Amino acid sequence: MEKMTCVSPLSGKTMFCHLDAPANAISVCRDATQVVVAGRNIFKIYAMEETGFVERLNLRVGRKPSLNFSCADVMWHQSDENLLATAATNGAVVTWNLSRPCRNKQELLFTEHKRTVNKVCFHPSEAHMLLSGSQDGFMKCFDLRKKESVSTFSGQSESVRDVQFSMKDYFTFAASFENGNVQLWDIRRPDRYERMFTAHTGPVFCCDWHPDDRGWLATGGRDKMVKVWDMTTNRAKEIHCVQTIASVARVKWRPERRWHLATCSMMVDHNIYVWDVRRPFIPFATFEEHKDVATGVAWRHPHDPYVLLSGSKDSTLYQHMFRDASRPVDRANPEGLCFGLFGDLAFAAKESLMAGDAGRKPYPGGDRRYPIFFFKKPDVTEQFAQVSSALSVFEFEANGGDEGRGRMDWFVETARRYLLTGKPFAELCDHNAKVAKELNRPQVSTTWTMLRIMYSDPGNPATPANHNISKLGNIPLMISLKEMSSALNERNKENRVDNLHNLETNLNIDENEETEGSEGQAEYLFGDAELDDDDLYSMEHDNQTEEPEYILPQEAFPLRHEIVDHPSAPEPPAEKPESPQVSGGETEGSCLTPMESFSLISVSQLLFQPRLPPGFFSPVVRAALTHYAELGDVQMAVSALIVLGERIRKEVDELTQEHWYMSYIELLQRFELWNVSNEVIKLSTCSAITCLNQASTTLHINCSNCKRPMNNKGWICDRCHQCASVCAVCHHVVKGLFVWCQGCSHGGHLEHMREWLKHSNHCPAGCGHLCEYT
Amino acid sequence: MSDHEYEEQLAGSFGVDTFSKDFDYGVEEPDTEETLSSSTDSKPRILLMGLRRSGKSSIQKVVFHKMSPNETLFLESTNKIYKDDISGSSFVNFQIWDFPGQVDFFDPTFDYEMIFRGTGALIFVIDAQDDYVEALGRLHLTVTRAYRVNPNINFEVFVHKVDGLSDDHKIETQRDIHQRANDDLADASLEKLHLSFYLTSIYDHSIFEAFSKVVQKLISQLPTLENLLNIFISNSGIEKAFLFDVVSKIYIATDSSPVDMQSYELCCDMIDVVIDVSCIYGLKEDGTGSAYDKDSLAIIKLNNTTVLYLKEVTKFLSLVCILREESFEKKGLIDYNFHCFRKAIHEVFEVASVARKGLLSMQPSSPCTTVKSTALNGTPRVLV
Repeated sequence: MEKMTCVSPLSGKTMFCHLDAPANAISVCRDATQVVVAGRNIFKIYAMEETGFVERLNLRVGRKPSLNFSCADVMWHQSDENLLATAATNGAVVTWNLSRPCRNKQELLFTEHKRTVNKVCFHPSEAHMLLSGSQDGFMKCFDLRKKESVSTFSGQSESVRDVQFSMKDYFTFAASFENGNVQLWDIRRPDRYERMFTAHTGPVFCCDWHPDDRGWLATGGRDKMVKVWDMTTNRAKEIHCVQTIASVARVKWRPERRWHLATCSMMVDHNIYVWDVRRPFIPFATFEEHKDVATGVAWRHPHDPYVLLSGSKDSTLYQHMFRDASRPVDRANPEGLCFGLFGDLAFAAKESLMAGDAGRKPYPGGDRRYPIFFFKKPDVTEQFAQVSSALSVFEFEANGGDEGRGRMDWFVETARRYLLTGKPFAELCDHNAKVAKELNRPQVSTTWTMLRIMYSDPGNPATPANHNISKLGNIPLMISLKEMSSALNERNKENRVDNLHNLETNLNIDENEETEGSEGQAEYLFGDAELDDDDLYSMEHDNQTEEPEYILPQEAFPLRHEIVDHPSAPEPPAEKPESPQVSGGETEGSCLTPMESFSLISVSQLLFQPRLPPGFFSPVVRAALTHYAELGDVQMAVSALIVLGERIRKEVDELTQEHWYMSYIELLQRFELWNVSNEVIKLSTCSAITCLNQASTTLHINCSNCKRPMNNKGWICDRCHQCASVCAVCHHVVKGLFVWCQGCSHGGHLEHMREWLKHSNHCPAGCGHLCEYT
Repeated sequence: MSDHEYEEQLAGSFGVDTFSKDFDYGVEEPDTEETLSSSTDSKPRILLMGLRRSGKSSIQKVVFHKMSPNETLFLESTNKIYKDDISGSSFVNFQIWDFPGQVDFFDPTFDYEMIFRGTGALIFVIDAQDDYVEALGRLHLTVTRAYRVNPNINFEVFVHKVDGLSDDHKIETQRDIHQRANDDLADASLEKLHLSFYLTSIYDHSIFEAFSKVVQKLISQLPTLENLLNIFISNSGIEKAFLFDVVSKIYIATDSSPVDMQSYELCCDMIDVVIDVSCIYGLKEDGTGSAYDKDSLAIIKLNNTTVLYLKEVTKFLSLVCILREESFEKKGLIDYNFHCFRKAIHEVFEVASVARKGLLSMQPSSPCTTVKSTALNGTPRVLV
């Protein structure tokens, strides 16, 4: 019989029968022909025929049914088809022998538990061993040849909800508890559990060993989760977790299917689910026949994965056939669409669908794929639908006016890459325009281009050439000083890290002061250079005086607004020279609409006639910068302010400038762009800003000999009365550059040390360390 | 405990103020010991301990004084031992001692032996949202000292304030605390000392459930009560039944089917509703009378074919059941079964009080009780 069923799946259909009372548990006979149903008021054996259940035997006999018949659990022996065990709600464990000739089949009665016995379990191979787990927190092992328990296991953690012998390990059993723990016991060692771990929050109602995999234990609890644990490792590891919608009452691995398990819930949900643990979000199959919660599930045959039996509180016993199960996957909508917090859009769909659509993807670069592949089963009925899907995430592209809302990557990137000084004005503008363009900010990019066009004055080729030369002369000095100061900064950092070597912090102070001084000079030099420019411009500023005359009769304001509203309306270029304000308005308008800007540039280039004064654009530029600042892009405002320098500075209110600077610096510091922020501070012309990096910097110095802090200025520590930083070669106090060996912390004048180490490998202090100078 | 005593104890109104008497126990008060030994020996104590700001007073206020969890924010930190005798209004015949977290419990002037000797359960509260290393050290110290004085104490650890943690984090925290605490005990070779852990929060019913379990461990008649409930529900077609202590909403017994949080919350809410309505309409003209008395009975039909059924069992206890509408058609049967159940419960506690008077103080299951319980188990004819 068994052989036969192994080869051909059990024939049959989905069928049910009414019981007289709610069932608490069911168990199947070894040969898969009979099932026992037990409940508080029922204890019957049914035979499973081709067409339906047939009641074979009612074990609840007698006029006055004893409480021993009120079963919480039942188990049929795996090898002896006449032997049954039940757990009674009054604490009794009863065994039943079906071969007894009389009507009362009760064989043994153990009344050792004080409270309800929740679970009984026969040993899978040992004929006489029975295990029980009770509400009183004890598990007892009974030998059916004796009248009492052989050993008692005290879980010491509340009520036992389930006990299960391991399928493979002869001596091991698992017990699950109401406080969320799972314990592993060795049947030979009743004094202490082998292992314990917290599996769930709240009670663990059930556990089941995997029939094939030695170390896998599935547990289900009140926290609505089924967890699969790998017990082979040192520490129980959760390998799978299935979220259900209600607390899990029973878990049973599906025979012959490594990844499948059946669950039923304790409350609310009346369905029985079969899950594929690798796909925990949707049940593999659902049986929806019951009208109340299922209390017992059992696979009919240990090698047949297609027939499931279940008993329920609605007083029915069902045989479910797998082919009649509903597959939620078939009904599930395979497409999903969701907006993210920052405007990202995710779209998931079947792989096939996505493949057909690949060519039309709006952002091919932003597409990430997370394919989930499932092992395809050869059996057609076992196919888990279409299981590979693709997920595309369309990231929000920050552009132009939207950056305030989006992610701030562009900000950091822009801050890093913008050049604010060190090159001729036109190159700076070009570079920054390029940066902005690469970062997908066409409007900003265009603004930079226009700034270059407005101010680089192509009409006077001679002047910019001069200007460039004069500037270039100063620039190398600037760079060299900058490099020096940054190098020094790095050394300062080293010092901070390396507390042991604070020999020359004094020196660093000196150097810092020196550099600061020299920077001041550099700025002064730069200022000189600017002054030249200014002269150039101030000459041309004279032209500006004529400006009011143009504006007033033209009634430029209403006109200007009109153009801002319709920036695409082309203006006849001939009119331009006579109405400068209008053209200015147009350039501003173009700032707002990057789409138009290119054409406008070509138009406005026509405008550049030698006599157009650069200061002429100032109000427009000022308006543009204010516009950017108000949009939240204070970066653009400040960068332009710095790059334009004197060209625009006077146009903008000092307070506004300061406000912009402060905001930008704060933003930079928020993003930890210290270097950029420092550069901005240095390049700013507002006195309130430039003093920022000269405040709140304190250096604490320790004496190199006694390691105490040095209080007063000078070279002598007032505690040990020795000079703090002494050159190891000449024994004088080092006041300039100091070099020291990180190995032995001796050092001295750079020159002296270099000389010394040319002809000796050892430390000049005589400490024996092999110093190295590179 | 006779009916006479009941009445006396319930003379006051049903409410918070009856049992929030402030027993001002100073540390060095001379009469402390005397009071303790004379009047409190028969009442097992529950000690609430833990570091400061771990939530002890909040637990006490929420569970026993019906304070709303949000109001506990305004509780000031306890600066003296606060002894709360709730036996006057609650079945739970215990004293809850709230220890200020900052008092050095092991100050030599402090007689901890006296305190631990009569203690039934020691609840140690650990703030799960805080760094709990210090708390674990304190736990170890407290537990080992208490164990030396009185090895019969139940040690309960509340991993508290878990409402702010994610599910995974909860388990991980509990596991970690469990592991560390037990390692400490193993190092001190005190493996026999057993700690129980509970994840609790005052913002849901987990604190009530945890307290229920703590209290249940101290009730020697629990198996009997559970059996009675089992018999009662299986014969009346009831899905779930709780025996509630009305004041604290602690369930002191339930049938052996697993407790579902939603059912429990539903029953708690029902008690609240019944008491509130009763406070408005149930009192006499002059404001006397009690919101909960012999005639208290409530039936609430929910729209999901579920019926909630509440009935007075004793002065402090009520039975709250959840059943289906179909089963409720046989109301006569349920009422009769309840009548039998109520009688049985009274008998159980009579035996217990007789036994207590005779044998003095709490004992783990006095012989009389056991006899009675087996007798009850074997006599289902009491019920239909």
